Amino acid sequence: MSTALSTADGSTKADGGRVLTIRDLSVEIRRGDRVVRPVSGVSLTLDRGETLGIVGETGSGKSMTGLAIMGMLPAGGRVTAGSIDLDGRELVGLPAAQYRAIRGNDVAMVFQDSMTALNPTKRIGEQVAEPVRLHRGASKREARARAEEMLALVGLPRPAERLDDFPHQLSGGMRQRVMIAMALVCEPRLVIADEPTTALDVTIQAEILDLLDDLRSRLGMSMILVTHDMGVIARHADRVGVMYAGRVAETGPTPVLFARTRHRYTQALLSSIPSLTQDRHEELFSIPGAPPDLTVTQAGCPFAPRCAAATDRCRQEPPPPATEAGGHVYACWHPADGPAARARARLVVPAPVVTEPRLRVVDLRREHPAGRAGLFGGRRTVKAVSGVSFEVAAGETFGLVGESGCGKSSLGRMLVALDRPTSGEVIFDGEPVTRMSARTLGPRRTQLQMMFQDSNASLDPRMRIGTILREPLAIQGIGTRAQRTARARELLRDVGLPASMLERYPYELSGGQRQRVGLARALALDPKVLVADEPVSALDVSIRSQVLNLMRRIQLERGLSSVVISHDLAVVRYLADRVGVMYLGKLVETGTTEEVYGSAAHPYTAGLLAAIPEADPDAPRPPAATRVRGELPSPIDPPSGCRFRTRCALATELCAQKEPPLTPVTGTHHVACHHPLRRAESRS
Amino acid sequence: MTWYVLRRLAVSLLVLLGISAVVFLMLHLVSDSPGRVVLGQRASPEAVADFNREHGFDRPVVVQYISYLGQLLQGDLGRSYKLNENVGALLARNAGRSAMLSLAGLVLALLVAVPLGILQAVRRNSLVDRVATAASYVLYATPSFLLGLLLIAVFSQTIPIFPAEASQSHSPWVVFTDPRAMALPVITLAVTSVAIFAQYQRSAALDQLGQDYVRVARAKGLPERLILTRHLLRNACLPLVMLVGTLVPTLLAGNLIVESLFNYPGLGLLFLNSLQREDYPVLLAYTLIGGVLTVAGNFIADVAVAAADRRIELSA
Repeated sequence: MSTALSTADGSTKADGGRVLTIRDLSVEIRRGDRVVRPVSGVSLTLDRGETLGIVGETGSGKSMTGLAIMGMLPAGGRVTAGSIDLDGRELVGLPAAQYRAIRGNDVAMVFQDSMTALNPTKRIGEQVAEPVRLHRGASKREARARAEEMLALVGLPRPAERLDDFPHQLSGGMRQRVMIAMALVCEPRLVIADEPTTALDVTIQAEILDLLDDLRSRLGMSMILVTHDMGVIARHADRVGVMYAGRVAETGPTPVLFARTRHRYTQALLSSIPSLTQDRHEELFSIPGAPPDLTVTQAGCPFAPRCAAATDRCRQEPPPPATEAGGHVYACWHPADGPAARARARLVVPAPVVTEPRLRVVDLRREHPAGRAGLFGGRRTVKAVSGVSFEVAAGETFGLVGESGCGKSSLGRMLVALDRPTSGEVIFDGEPVTRMSARTLGPRRTQLQMMFQDSNASLDPRMRIGTILREPLAIQGIGTRAQRTARARELLRDVGLPASMLERYPYELSGGQRQRVGLARALALDPKVLVADEPVSALDVSIRSQVLNLMRRIQLERGLSSVVISHDLAVVRYLADRVGVMYLGKLVETGTTEEVYGSAAHPYTAGLLAAIPEADPDAPRPPAATRVRGELPSPIDPPSGCRFRTRCALATELCAQKEPPLTPVTGTHHVACHHPLRRAESRS
Repeated sequence: MTWYVLRRLAVSLLVLLGISAVVFLMLHLVSDSPGRVVLGQRASPEAVADFNREHGFDRPVVVQYISYLGQLLQGDLGRSYKLNENVGALLARNAGRSAMLSLAGLVLALLVAVPLGILQAVRRNSLVDRVATAASYVLYATPSFLLGLLLIAVFSQTIPIFPAEASQSHSPWVVFTDPRAMALPVITLAVTSVAIFAQYQRSAALDQLGQDYVRVARAKGLPERLILTRHLLRNACLPLVMLVGTLVPTLLAGNLIVESLFNYPGLGLLFLNSLQREDYPVLLAYTLIGGVLTVAGNFIADVAVAAADRRIELSA
């Protein structure tokens, strides 16, 4: 393939293969006196029919690059230098009216699914048809026909009936299909998918990404896939651009970049991802510090302050791009040679002491009324948790995994007595907390603490960190004010934060720091049980590994019994000794981490594991048979028999009639399935 | 939906029953006996007692209330003490004119406030936005009688383009038949509402501008004008629809001042005059109508919002 470039003014036409050439693109956003430079000197290229993955953490400039191509920079933003060449046409400086004619027609964008990505008061047919009417001047009827065709293409069942639906009537996965239909309805040459699956469950994510791949080749488009997930890149991108602090650190063909990683940031990033194959007893690699402030102009390499290989030169001179064979370009003074060798601190895991279980959950159920009552009364109920039992020993970590809506968070809240179950019991140290009166429960609460997902919402914005950490002690009447402050200081030290944080407000902290404070608060009363609900889901990869290591260390040091709830199987695998897999309010499989991940017996577990893209382009694609298909059924009317049967490839008549009980596979490994997978089948 | 409407109607009836009971009782407690009011201060106590006995005003208050309810059910709102006329007929004669005045004020206010609020949101923190916001606060804080007097001073005295008195015609259509005479009352009524509506609309539009579907519409290549009219407008108006519904009785109260200021024979003026004349049956009926309008306004707003936004399921 040729590397011919068009000139900056776009007068010469690019050669046949090249669709997009970005050269030295810089963007600045001015807000009042502050000037942020989210993109500085980015150069990337994209060929016809190719997928370019742009990967990076929050604030790396990956989304801003996409928006710059669309000419949709936020208020106060402008391109300060460089060129964006689309098929020989210069987009930088294009008049607004001409840009509009390109947007949605030649270049389209698929955004992250959110409840409001589709207009809530317009029918989806209209919304999909809109670009056709706008760019093709089609009549209402023609556009509607085209919308129907497009909705069929993206796999919306019975599209003709769905045209008049409103967005809220669709599930998240279906809404994302509609988004894709809307973006592709004019058959653009280039589609920019910005975190298209970040809000979706892993089984749905796999379907959506495959759909995008399929449409790209069928419609002959090129695609830019913007994501934070190295696994998605490894499985779906032909070439990669790794961005850090507004610059492209490294770019090249996907297999080359993963196999011969050059930039120190790429190397560190790849090492900090908890994988499904890594040794659980090794600490995760983590990048110290946090990404730089983009309002300040950097002198040298932006990664230098966090880089182990950095020298004075890195801090003073920006590294120039170096090119290797196959278009592998990187900007690093001290390039690495391939992925990091794995030599990490081994964690000392004490031998499990067999004791009475600290926490016992017995046939726990939680139902709550759903929506409106029927015409003749008779409220329907959402069965959030339907008969879950498990035990957690002292010092043990139990992991609960499952997709959104499986009831794992409802379960977590009941464990720490924030909610009361409809029936069943939570027994803590031999005492049933679920049946205690508020008065007897009060002092026991100190022993049961919770760490929340969104530390931004779970820390009172008007309280200083010191007050937040002292509050649990004050409520329980522990110590004098001075003693409480001393304790708060100790807690901050334990979670790796300086004592100066005591006087700060939550908004002054970064996401990772806030999550550390959330952990410190949960530890303030020296609990025996810690429930962590999605503890790292809101964090970037490099920060996530810091927090995961911290949690692991504290679990081991304090002998805490913890329950870690997450949709992320790799996170649970790293933290938990034993795992329970939940589906629609029921545990379908439990066992030690090695058993569940190594030889999953339930088809759902196997399907979940197969759906996770590994950050390794050479990883074999899982066989299609293990795929979990379709959508999660409603927890109001769960399917009869086995609840998973509607999405299971192995389901038989028996599965619809009889609900499978949890039965032992080995002494510690249990599965609720009529047709459990044997060792060889579970993971290819 | 039908079920919802029926249920809401039943609840509304209960609310109205409550209002009528409270108002009836209060008027009974504060007022002289009807005989005294009708016959005047110089009538002898015997004559007053006779009158009360004759008309059943000597019965216990609960019995009187029940018999009043009975009359209400037959559509009889009672008889004015002073005007010697059926209250229902009296109100009916004035209601249309008041409604037209309110409606004209409301429509004018919305016509100005909705675009203004959206403009302010799109150009937030610009000069236009700041001036409009400042003006809104000043106007909102201005009592309508003061505003009305100022308007009269400027547009009727200094620059005499509008008359200071509203049209005295008895037709409810005076807004159209005699627009010049109705200009000042309608404007007075509208200006106060514009101040609230525009600020409300501004914040609703700001909320919506931050939503992802606006960005998606931009990515389709839609020009800004179409993004605003096709996508933003409906979503951004929903909170205002709700507000207008709940404001209906307030508008009526606004009428009261504007009607008396411009001497416009409507419900408000009738109420004020009845208050001075201690004409309790009229006051009672007026209050009841206020209750009906409050309940109806809320109800209509709920249904309208649900019709515009299908995410909302109506349930009682």
